[in-house]
Amino acid sequence: MTKGITLVILCMAAITGFSPNRSAVAAEAPYKRTVESLSMPDVVLVNQKGEKVRFKTLVESGKPVVVDFIYATCTTICPILSAGFTNLQRKQGVDSAKFQLISITIDPENDSPPVLTEYLERYQARPGWDFLTGSRADINKVMNSFGAFFPNKMSHRPYNFIRTNDQGKWVKLDGMIGGRDLLNEIEKVGVK
Amino acid sequence: MRENVLLSNRITLWRVALLFLATLFVQPPGSLAAQDISDLAPAEIIRLGEQMYLKGLLPSGKPMQAYVSGDIPMEGTSFTCVSCHLHSGIGSFEANIATPPTNGRILYQERKPYIKGFENVPSYHRYASYFPVRPAYTDETLAALITTGFDPTGRSVLKVMPRYDLDDRDTAIMIAYLKSLSDQFSPGVSENEIKFATVIVEGVDPAAVAAMLLPLENQINRKNSQALTYQSSPRLARMANNVMGPDLGAKKFSLARWVLKGAPETWRAQLDAYYRAEPVFALLGGISDGEWEPVHRFCEENRIPDLLPQTDYPVLSNSDWYTLYFSRGVRQEGEAAARYLHSMYDLFAGRAVVQVVRDGRVGKALGEGFREVWATTGHPAPVEIVLPEGEALSGERLRQIVAEHKPAALLLWDDATVLAALEGLPDQAGRPGMVIASSSYLGKEMWNISESLRDLLYLTYPFRLPQEEGRFDVALKGVLAGKNPSDYDQKILRRSYIVGELLSKSLVQMRGEYYRDYLLDVVGMMADSVFPLYERLGFGPGQRYASKGCFIVQLGKGANPQLERRSEWVTQ
Ligand code: HEC
Repeated sequence: MTKGITLVILCMAAITGFSPNRSAVAAEAPYKRTVESLSMPDVVLVNQKGEKVRFKTLVESGKPVVVDFIYATCTTICPILSAGFTNLQRKQGVDSAKFQLISITIDPENDSPPVLTEYLERYQARPGWDFLTGSRADINKVMNSFGAFFPNKMSHRPYNFIRTNDQGKWVKLDGMIGGRDLLNEIEKVGVK
Repeated sequence: MRENVLLSNRITLWRVALLFLATLFVQPPGSLAAQDISDLAPAEIIRLGEQMYLKGLLPSGKPMQAYVSGDIPMEGTSFTCVSCHLHSGIGSFEANIATPPTNGRILYQERKPYIKGFENVPSYHRYASYFPVRPAYTDETLAALITTGFDPTGRSVLKVMPRYDLDDRDTAIMIAYLKSLSDQFSPGVSENEIKFATVIVEGVDPAAVAAMLLPLENQINRKNSQALTYQSSPRLARMANNVMGPDLGAKKFSLARWVLKGAPETWRAQLDAYYRAEPVFALLGGISDGEWEPVHRFCEENRIPDLLPQTDYPVLSNSDWYTLYFSRGVRQEGEAAARYLHSMYDLFAGRAVVQVVRDGRVGKALGEGFREVWATTGHPAPVEIVLPEGEALSGERLRQIVAEHKPAALLLWDDATVLAALEGLPDQAGRPGMVIASSSYLGKEMWNISESLRDLLYLTYPFRLPQEEGRFDVALKGVLAGKNPSDYDQKILRRSYIVGELLSKSLVQMRGEYYRDYLLDVVGMMADSVFPLYERLGFGPGQRYASKGCFIVQLGKGANPQLERRSEWVTQ
């Protein structure tokens, strides 16, 4: 597996028009980007440490914010969304605390603070990534305000929401998104 | 670190490119999987493969490395095959993403746009249409899929499926494991029948046993008469096919009663003997007044699911898999009390919390539940007072306890004999603002709490409020047809009804894949739905205690009081 072989093969691939995407039969759906005006509900949620968190204050702290909706025992899509958050924190390096990532559980019955802590550890989360739970009623309010109400946790969607500097405007990304693409989207709204 | 990422990026690309070339010019590179692993004992291969599949750890013990969503590096310890393909390997369905089977039996078969023999069954048809066709895998093409993401048609599969950075030897181990995964149908299933059993601990009140059995046997009888008409009426058979397919449609169910006698230490041998005589696919329900652990262990070690036994003392574990419980048992009420008090702790102004615990299994479980959750809140430990078994708490003793500790809140984990002692408390100076007791421990006497106590006394109530339960009466009526409802304990009956519902829903969703692990996987993917008795039941993937909630209630005023909610179902 020397560099030389890699190069030769890549060149040949380029010559023959190789691109993994083009050879795909069932094409991967690209993510959808929209801008939404959202107003945040004034609810008190609970973080992984069991501390009460005023959601509005956390979201509107002035730091750049990305929000997703996941739950601890979810298959397939939450692992991918969370790997995306881990990746963001890595890319931000020491600056990860300048950046607020918020995961909100859509399964508050199961996701108690100890469960949230264990989950964040599994994804090697650093400070600046909070996983919030709360009463079913308050979680519903938050889901509703993001237009992301999932009456049934098995039918949720892979959304990332990025808060923009424009009052109340959020960028909503719907779909599985690559690491570079997510960073680009964040940079586009003015976050470095 | 950065270097490493680049390096593995390159390795992945290298594999992708190599495979691409291979499909152009030559046979796929056999070396990818032809690695000789015959130096390892078969059991060792399975152990190492399972470690990758379930824990994301390489045979070396290091985390597996992979890329998801194209360019996001991830480690196997965050998530691994089981997170998406599930325990059985039959795959999952969540959020519009279908994860296909990854068991050898199905991988090494050609995938058609339909499932043979089930062409006309809508649910099978819908399922089959999610996945593009492909030829059967070979060891070589399977190795290529796992490491490069290209399937045998040359399609780059969804980027949700990680591309794993595995060397040839570890890939060969992974493949050997996939071949062993969900290979033969589990015991207890034959062409015409699925066998179940239910465990009954001798000494449980026969009326309680009857209430547990009635809905289960009702469900089984209904299934069996359906199977009979299936045989005799082509029209009804077609209807059954639409719902469950020809295979499940024609099968009968049986339910054996495994009665356990004597001391719990002797149960294991009895269970082994029952199982040897008649292997069953799964245990349904079951009932015990006390111990359940030996049954739990038996199921764990023999990999036999038990759907929702009725016990106040489930085994608490984060990793055990085979027994699904209704809740964490009676201790869950103590836990709920701790969360409730935590939510208002600011009002206590530093006053103590006193916990009075009746010595005995129920009191101890409640006390322990409270203590453990309370400890996580960081508040000072509660003052604990233990009441000896068999000695009722007197009004005088209670007065002393209150005078001495001046608690803000008093927890009384005792049976209904405690109610008499409480009578003077409302008038005592410096009394606590609230007293919390367990509705389960008080039993039916909770309805006779005197008017003067109703403002002070709060109850943990781990069910939907009775006045909101009426909408399930119709469903239960079917089960009780021709019976006298008051002969049956309503809670036991409703729990057992839930087992029957869960069983029939999951078997339909299993699409004829009769693997025990898949039964549990399917229960885990069950859409949230409304069941009797519990305000919410959640069967999320891998979750083992379905009801996580409990209300804090008070008894309302008047001669025919209702329960009044004082909390949400779950407080964090
Ligand atoms: C994050 C979720 C996820 C994880 C983790 C995951 N897979 Fe997959 N896997 C998928 C999805 C989704 C597909 C279907 C992709 C497609 O067909 O486009 C898939 C496809 C496959 C296939 C191809 C099946 C076929 O019929 O073509 C195999 C084999 C497979 N995975 C094995 C594995 C193994 C082995 C692991 C662990 C080492 C693993 N997967 C980890 C989600 C996952």
